[in-house]
Parts: sequence; structure tokens; C-alpha cells
Amino acid sequence: MNENILMKLERVTKTYQMGEVRVEALKETSLDIYEGELLVILGPSGSGKSTLLNIVGGMDLPTTGSVYYREMDLAQAGDAQLTRYRRNEVGFVFQYYNLIPDLTARENVELAAGLVDGPLSTDSVLAAVGLGDRMGHFPSQLSGGEQQRVSIARAMVKKPRLLLCDEPTGALDNLTGRMILGLLEAANREQGCTVVIVTHNTSISDMAHRVVRMSSGAAAEIIVNSEPLSPERIEW
Amino acid sequence: MVDQAYLEANGLSFNDTVSIINAGRKVELIVVGTAISPEFTFIMKDAASFMPDPETFGLVMMPLNQAQQVLDLPGQINQVLIKLTPGADEEKVAAEVEAILAPYGNLTSYPLKDQLSNAVLQGELDSLKAVARFMPALFLGIAAAIQMVMLGRMIRAQRLQIGIMKALGYNNRQIMTLYTAYSLSTSLIGSLLGTLLGMGLASAMSGLYADFFNLPRAIGGINSFAVLSGLGLSLLVGASSGLFVSRGVLAINPAEAMRPEPPKMAGSIFLERVTWFWRQLDSTWRMSLRTALRNRGRFATVLAGVTVSVGMLVISLFTNDIVDYMIQKQYYVNQRHDYLVRFENPVQESNLTEIFCIDGVIRTEPIFEIPVKINFQGKSEDDLLQGIPQDATLKLLEDRQERPLRVPNVGLLINEKTAAKLGVREGDRVEVETRFNTGPKRLSELTIVGVSRQLVGSGSFVSLGQANLVIQERRLVSGVMLKVDPGLAATVEEKLDDMNRVASILSRQKELDTFNEYTGVMIYSITIMVAFAVVMGFAIVYNASMISFIERKRELAALRVLGFTNREVSVLLLKENLLQSLLGVAVGLPFGRLLGQAYINTASTDLFTMPVVIYPMTYVWAALGGILFIAAAHLLAVRGVRGLDLVNVLKNGD
Repeated sequence: MNENILMKLERVTKTYQMGEVRVEALKETSLDIYEGELLVILGPSGSGKSTLLNIVGGMDLPTTGSVYYREMDLAQAGDAQLTRYRRNEVGFVFQYYNLIPDLTARENVELAAGLVDGPLSTDSVLAAVGLGDRMGHFPSQLSGGEQQRVSIARAMVKKPRLLLCDEPTGALDNLTGRMILGLLEAANREQGCTVVIVTHNTSISDMAHRVVRMSSGAAAEIIVNSEPLSPERIEW
Repeated sequence: MVDQAYLEANGLSFNDTVSIINAGRKVELIVVGTAISPEFTFIMKDAASFMPDPETFGLVMMPLNQAQQVLDLPGQINQVLIKLTPGADEEKVAAEVEAILAPYGNLTSYPLKDQLSNAVLQGELDSLKAVARFMPALFLGIAAAIQMVMLGRMIRAQRLQIGIMKALGYNNRQIMTLYTAYSLSTSLIGSLLGTLLGMGLASAMSGLYADFFNLPRAIGGINSFAVLSGLGLSLLVGASSGLFVSRGVLAINPAEAMRPEPPKMAGSIFLERVTWFWRQLDSTWRMSLRTALRNRGRFATVLAGVTVSVGMLVISLFTNDIVDYMIQKQYYVNQRHDYLVRFENPVQESNLTEIFCIDGVIRTEPIFEIPVKINFQGKSEDDLLQGIPQDATLKLLEDRQERPLRVPNVGLLINEKTAAKLGVREGDRVEVETRFNTGPKRLSELTIVGVSRQLVGSGSFVSLGQANLVIQERRLVSGVMLKVDPGLAATVEEKLDDMNRVASILSRQKELDTFNEYTGVMIYSITIMVAFAVVMGFAIVYNASMISFIERKRELAALRVLGFTNREVSVLLLKENLLQSLLGVAVGLPFGRLLGQAYINTASTDLFTMPVVIYPMTYVWAALGGILFIAAAHLLAVRGVRGLDLVNVLKNGD
């Protein structure tokens, strides 16, 4: 981790209109994300953590405020710019994997690799997540943990600067969850990729360089972990 | 009273006068009304005419005694209509009547089926019946398929609701009733709207038929049997497809239904075994191919729908080809003369010099037309024997393979249709019996030396000399074919009009013009068919694309998050659509030809021999039409890609 700021969020708010009710999902939140850090955004349901991740990932626009990724303000970007941003800079890992059911593990990764210039080798990325012998399998033939590993490989093959993970262990058992966290930590440590993990699982925050604790749509607290734990030592 | 078409074509109104010429004497008649009669629904001068020409030929009706007075033929008749008691032996009665009337002159009798108006109208009705047999089955089949695909999708989408209903205590029958009722009510609304539309179209169509066939306008009306059976059939299809698909409800387990759906089952497809081909494809093509082939029901529906639509486009457009081909053949290849002049009575060939000398006439060729009955082994057929010079250039003959035929010096080139009806072949000898209205009957034996094909009208051919031999005369002609200088055609026509002994002048240009006027019915039905084909094809592709899009929203949103652009996602859906649609277009083109063949078999009549002619451009247009509706349906269906909600779609399940 170094002190270079990769993303700068300033006074970001997000308001949704849900029927007749106005929901303030994010209230004037400011946050810096540093290059190469492993950041955990922690909070209960409805705390605004997923909204924050969506805005950071260029999937959603803030109602007010600015979101700088280096020189580019995502809050002012158009659809084409946001698509380019997601394509070239960001990798996503979702709670429910969102793999393409009609493609094998290898083809799912190839699909993403085809989007960028000079991607990593599909086979080596799949081998790195421990799926060297399962590449020809379809998602319906893989366990949850295996599907999540394909999802990580799909994100990493593009060599993203920023890896965003939304409850990556939410649908998995302990053991499998820890293995997934190990892969994310390795991506951060070995490839210098900035990793942001959104979770409600407090144990995961032990492996982060920094933890943002969200509450009622605002960053209530930011904790710096001087000695992050390795994923194998995390218990929940 | 005159027939309506004649009245309109000549701009007559009641109390106007028309003059008729009988044996050189002019008689003025006052028009007091219009009238029609069943044997004149299709008024043509004779079997050699191609199309009705109400401007120059019409029907005048008056009381019998008045007609006898006007024509100066007191107490005489020249035609008897006979209605038979049910079960009577038609041929026996005809033979007896002919025997009774034989002393009064040469006689022709026609059974109802050979009567021209009846034959033309019946032919048209038969082809309509053929269409009416396969069209509803086709449309109902497609409608059922669409409904099943849509309802199947709905049940899958409402898995959670169905699970909740089951958990609350509703049983399978109650839930299935719900979905069947849905299908039934859409069928009911659709068939009510369809009935209204159908009544409008039926009234427009019967109006056109009324015009074309001189029928009373009252033939339209509402056919309650058709309306009720249409409604009944639609509801039956709606209910059965609803019931069939809602079986899907049975498989839903309430506990499972309330959990997020597991990934769709996917697997290898047969194409993957063609490894060299499969390796050339990128992931997006593989994905599209697997998705398309995994949903077999939908794939088959789209394939069948596009095939039928494109087939219908081919068949509707090729009607035009046939007519065009027939016109080309009739008026530009076989019949090269600009005018056919017929005389009241046969004249010496040498008399034609008078016509040849008219300024503007480029070439004259004599013709001798003799109405005959051709007898062979107990069977007989009416025909028009046409004697033409052996070196004729204004009338060219062809055999069944479109090879040129030359009239033999001795013997007969028999018409293809007459040959088929009599079952004669080259080398057979037939008896030819003349059937002039007056004069003695002549019998001669002729050898068949060839079979000629005429697409329009009938007629068998002999040499001019042979024709004279048949009536035991020498160098007589009954008419003349003319080639004229186009610039002087009008004056030639005027001069011919003024000539004595000229009974009629048939102008090629006028026949062509009349024909073009009469293509209204055809164009109307082509337009309707094309519209149906396009709407049906569009609806099927649109539904399938929509369902595919809705079902895969989540997947497509995931691709957008990965960094696919809107366009790339649309292209992905297009690839999937293309596979089934283009296959449909490819199968639809030959399918259209098959449909055409079947249609032609029912539509050929004694009057027309319709060849199955499809110009290459027709395939191109049909394919383009298909691609156009596929593209339009696709573009409309994928509009939603822009609005994909990347945030919510990717959240927990549906």
C-alpha cells in the first residue's frame, strides 16, 4: 500500500425514490481510496455500503458530490465513459457470481479477457484460482466456491487496477469463504491490485489495511489496521 | 337491360340508347336497367379471349319475343338451358337432347362444369378453399406456439409467486386454472378483435369479387358459422395451449421456489463436435449458439414462424411472377400479332390483299378458326381448331419443354389440356367434328403429330390447308393476324372498323390494358398475404427476442458491468436471433416454392395453365422482407438493453 490516492469521493450523496418514499442511501460521504490497499467496507443491511460500491464501480451515479478516479470525475461521466472505466480499470466479484450459464469456466474468463488489450493468460489465471482441471465445466456443474473462483479469475484476467467485491463470501461456507478471501488477498499482495470488499461480516475486516464502518448512509468510522491478519487466521 | 360492367365501362345511364347491328341493320335500344344472370358472371366473347372486356363486349337482356322481333327471327331460339332432376344421367340426357335437336342444325351442349362463367368462378372458389384449408391451421399453430412460449416464460418468471401460493395452500389445479384462464382470456380478446378485422376484410374482399364476377353486392354479409367456428377454434387453441404449458406449475416446489434460482443447466451442443468450426468461434458466438440451441421449443417456434412467413412472402410475390411470365409468353413470345381480325363468314385468302394494302399494316397472316369436338375412344372434348400457315411468324407455338413447334402440313398439333383429357399421345388418330352454328357437320380423322402448350386459352393447331380439308373447302380463311406500325395503329383500327364483313377486331394492346385493370383482385390478395406474413414473422421474432431478453436480463447486466457496451450486448442478442432467423429464411425460400406448387395445382383451370415460375428476384425480395422484419423485431426488442438496471439486477436473484 502506498499513499497515492486512486479514488477520491467528496461529499457524495445518493437519494432513491422508492414509490412515494424518498430514501437517502448515502449522506455526504467523503472517502479516499489508496492505490494498492485492501479496503473493507463494513456495515449492516441498509447502511449504504453497496450503494457506495456501486458508485465506486461506475454502475451508479451519485445524486450530488464528486467521485474522482485519478483525473476523471465519474459523477460527471456519460454512459460510454463509465463503460470504458468498468471495462479497463475495474474487476467485479459478486455475491451470486453472475457467471454466464452457457459458457464454460474457461469461456467465461475468455469473454472478459477479450475486452482489454494484453490480458493475462486465461489458463494461468484459472490455474491460479485452483481450477486448472475444471476449466471445461459449465457453472451448473460447479460448486458455489468454484463458481466464485471463476468469478475472481474473470475479474483478474483483465489486470484491473481496482477489484470490487460485493459480499464475496456471502453465499459460501466458512472454509470456502476463507479460500476466496485468500485469493483476493493474493491479488492485492502479488499484483498490487486495489481491492475493495463490501461485507457485513465483521471478521473479514481483520484482513484489511483499512476498514470503513458504514452506518445510516454515512462513513461513521475509518480504522487503520496496522497488522492485517492473513485470511487463514480469520474465524467466523 | 345491360350488365353492370358494360354499363359502367361505357358510361351509360338509364334511358340512354345503345344500338345493335343485326345483319347490317341498326336497331336502337333504350337502357332501362341492369341485370345479371349466373351463366354470365364472367362475360367473355369466346374461348379465344383472354379476359373480359366490358367496354367492347357486354350482355343485353330483353324479353324473348322482343329479341326475336329485333333480330327478325320470329319464333326462333338458339340456346336452351336445362335443369336436371337430381340423380339424372347428364350424358344420356345431353345425347337425347342433341338427337332431338340434330335436324335443326349443328349443336353444342355444355355441362355446368364446362360452362365458362361457372368454370372460372368455381376455379377461383376452389383455390380460395385450398387457401382456407391450410391458412387457419398454420396461423392457429403459430399462435399456439407463441402462446406456449409466452406462458411458459410467465410461469418461470412467477416461480416465486407460485411457490408462495402453494405454501399458502392453493393446490395445483387451482393454480393451473389461473394460467389457463389467462391464456383463454387473451385468446378471447384476440379472437374478438380478429373477428372484427376479419369481417372488415371479408367485406372488402367480397366487394372485389362482386366487381370481378358481376355478382350482386349482397354476397358479403356476415357468415355466422365462420364467426362462431373462428371464435370456437381460437378458444380451443387458447385453452389447450394454456393447459399444456401450465403443467409446469406441477414441478414447482414451494420451498425451492423461494430460494434463488440455481444456474441454468447448460451443456455442450452437437456443433462442438465439429472442433475445427467450434475453435473459430469466440466466446460471444459460442454463448449465442448454446443459448439458442438450449431453448429448443423457442428455437423451433422461431424457425417455424420465420419459415412460414418467408414461405408466404415467396408465394405472394410469385403470383406476380406467374402473371408476368404468362403475359410475356402470351403477348410477347407466342402471340406476335397486334390485331386479330375475324370475319363474319369465311372469305377467300386472296381477299386479304385489301387489308394488307391499308397504310400501316406491316404483315398479314391468315388464320382459320373452327369450333370442333375432338373424339377419341368414346371420350370427346370441345376445342378450337386453328389453321395457320406453316411458316407463321405472328403466332408461334411451343411444346411442353418450351421448344418451338412447326404446324405440320398434315395432321394435328393438339392442345396439352385437350390431350390430357382425352388421354391421347403422338401417333393416335382422333375424330374431328366441326361445330358451326349453321351448316352441315363435317367429320374427319387426323393424326396427332405433336402436343402444344398454351398458357392462356385453348386451341389446337393445323395447317391452313388441313383446316380447309376439314371443312371440305379450299383457300378459305376466317380471320387475319396483323402486325402494324405502332404509329399508325389507330388509323388501321379505324379502317378495319369500317370494313364490311369484319366481325371483331382483337387488339393486343387493349387485351393487355384490360388484363392490367383486372389485376386488382390479385394485388389485393397479395397485399393481404404479404401483410400477414410480415406481421406474423415480426410477432414471432419480437416475442422470442423479448422473452430471451427478459430471461437473461441478469446475465446481460453482468456483461454490462464487466464492460460490454450497449451495442456489444445488442449484437450478442442479434447473433442468437440471427442463427434461428436466417435458418428460417433459408428454409422458407424452398418451402415457399413447395407451397406455390401446391397452390398452382389447385389454381390451374381450363382457361389458364399456370406454370410454377419463380424469378430469382422474388427469392431476393422474400429474403429481404424476412430480414427486414427480423431486424425490426430485434431492434424493438433490444431497446431495453439501454435501460438495464445494473445495480438491482445483480442483487440477489430475481
